[in-house]
Amino acid sequence: MTMLGYQNKFLRIDLTKKGAKTEPLRMDWAEKYIGSKGLAIKYLYEELKPGIDPLSSENKLLLMTGPLTGTPVPCSGKLSISAKSPATGTINDCSIGGHVGIKIKFAGYDAIMFEGVLKEPGYVLIEDSKISFKDAKDLWGRGSHEAEAILAEKYGHEYSILSIGPAGENLVTMSCINSDYYRQAGRGGIGAVMGSKNLKAIVIKGTGGVKAANIVETTKRIVEILHEDVLQEDNTFIFDCGTTAFLEACNDGGILPVNNFSDTTDERWTEYNGDVLLEKRAGKRGCGSCGLGCGNFLKYGNAICEGPEYESIAVAGPNAGIRDPEAIVKFNQVADDVGLDTISAGDTIIWAMEMTEKGIHDFGIKFGDKEKMIEYLYLMAKREGVGADLALGVKLASEKYGGTDFAMHVKGLEYPQYEPRGSWGMSLAYAVSDRGACHMRAYAPNEEVFAASIPPYTPEDKGQMVYNLAEHNAVKFCLCICDFWGTITMEIMAEMMTIVTGKEWSVQEMKDVAWRTIQIARAFNQREGFNRKDDTMPKRLAKEALKNGPAAGQAIPQEAFEDMLNQYYNVLGWDENGMVPESIICQL
Amino acid sequence: MKITITLRGSLLKYFNGDKERVVEVPDSCTCEEALATVGINWREIKSFGFVAINGKRVMIFDQLKEGDELKAYPRISGG
Repeated sequence: MTMLGYQNKFLRIDLTKKGAKTEPLRMDWAEKYIGSKGLAIKYLYEELKPGIDPLSSENKLLLMTGPLTGTPVPCSGKLSISAKSPATGTINDCSIGGHVGIKIKFAGYDAIMFEGVLKEPGYVLIEDSKISFKDAKDLWGRGSHEAEAILAEKYGHEYSILSIGPAGENLVTMSCINSDYYRQAGRGGIGAVMGSKNLKAIVIKGTGGVKAANIVETTKRIVEILHEDVLQEDNTFIFDCGTTAFLEACNDGGILPVNNFSDTTDERWTEYNGDVLLEKRAGKRGCGSCGLGCGNFLKYGNAICEGPEYESIAVAGPNAGIRDPEAIVKFNQVADDVGLDTISAGDTIIWAMEMTEKGIHDFGIKFGDKEKMIEYLYLMAKREGVGADLALGVKLASEKYGGTDFAMHVKGLEYPQYEPRGSWGMSLAYAVSDRGACHMRAYAPNEEVFAASIPPYTPEDKGQMVYNLAEHNAVKFCLCICDFWGTITMEIMAEMMTIVTGKEWSVQEMKDVAWRTIQIARAFNQREGFNRKDDTMPKRLAKEALKNGPAAGQAIPQEAFEDMLNQYYNVLGWDENGMVPESIICQL
Repeated sequence: MKITITLRGSLLKYFNGDKERVVEVPDSCTCEEALATVGINWREIKSFGFVAINGKRVMIFDQLKEGDELKAYPRISGG
């Protein structure tokens, strides 16, 4: 049956020919993958030739919404931005907040695919059905914030913007896409894909709406769920504190990393904790359709940024041997502006700090060098001086200079700031994530650390645990629901889909969507040559026991890691080499 | 024995907004038992997260000793 919520329109923009055309959304695929993450991966699986260079004209950049985007369903304002990753060679779907997803939907589209390459730097202006190709020579080379300010001044705030900074222009494979001054699609070098297309920005305005199955009943039920479930204290902490709330819990939980993951648990955590940071709050901002509003703008002197989020605080704080809130905010501001992912850029710099301190190679920076940490971001974005090497990321840089044992990455994507020796399941979650080390695919600390009774230091049952977490998040991301609606259940997600689309969705069908999404992402990577040999954990985690905190004495034995990997493969029906069998691929 | 129980986030309501209380609990009791002495049954609180003794995460069934700080957190989610 026809499902409402969708616009049933897929916009394909040919940058080489400067042309655009629409086609119906593949609703047969939407029934299997819903939208956003899953549907984007399905399109790219079908359309990208295996083995292409992610920075060539053959790669495609796909903005994909979902059926809930643009409706009043709480926390449904996320957008998937996807392509083959130049950092890893895997599929890479990023989730970005803000308002762009809703603008795409209101402009009349479910998705926008960018193909080919602009001959000269430019940006694309989308105003409902009108598509214009604009010159961006005056914007090229400018920071993302400045470029967005120029565009916002020109077009006004009814328009939303996606943009890249110099890092994306220079094809740095840890570059991000920014939006409306404050949100990022951060990981896997998605900004470099945009840069490789000479595409500085996408500016979009939509004036339409979205049809839901029964608007009166839909609105009534959404308001009920907003009050019954969303606006509960289990979720509203995120309005008060943002992700700074994680600092104390991660520190006491033994998963806040210190000095490039050489240890955990920082005695000086109170110097940059949320209570301290939020004294400098200068503003708040939420995404479209959000009931929670997690965005905080902090201002320290000349340093201002949205956030810093937990990840950026940890990587530019204790993991870098730095305890200065102003330096952390400045790091975040500069990384966003030059267009670098704070996690990958930060991890690469802290790896260089350890390399220098150990005397393996002198990168001219040591733990605690806060001014240099910021200076190096500019160099990395321009690939100048020491920045040319660090722009490679920890995988390639360590293959060139040594230090592979403490190069914290999986498949070339740098580690998020949750130390797995304090949460063993996280080592598995990073290893099997579809885009390299990502904490958003399955967030093991939720079960192993932030719960009262699940033992963190054992491989037992972790394969099923990680799959259950991945299943839940896969559905969330197919629906464009934000991670911070933490209490959302499969039942609520199925109900939201039912009332908006008018088609009955069961919990089992939602689980099936997750299963297909995880399988097709794996199948994409398998086709690119990935298998068990790539599902790794950094050697440091097996070789070095933690010295401090509740996880002191913990290392993850390699055999325990392999055990968890086997468990996970068994849950998914993959063979011992982690390969998806043809019997599953033919169902996708 | 005397210990300090500290509550974080949304759990503060169980101390009427106070952050911490010094309480008398049975010697060598577990975290679960200590919380029960102040009327907190963690199993019945949907939003209950985890506990730490002296700033280090422990299992709810671990034992306390004189002078310990028992900290209880609500669930947090996200990443």
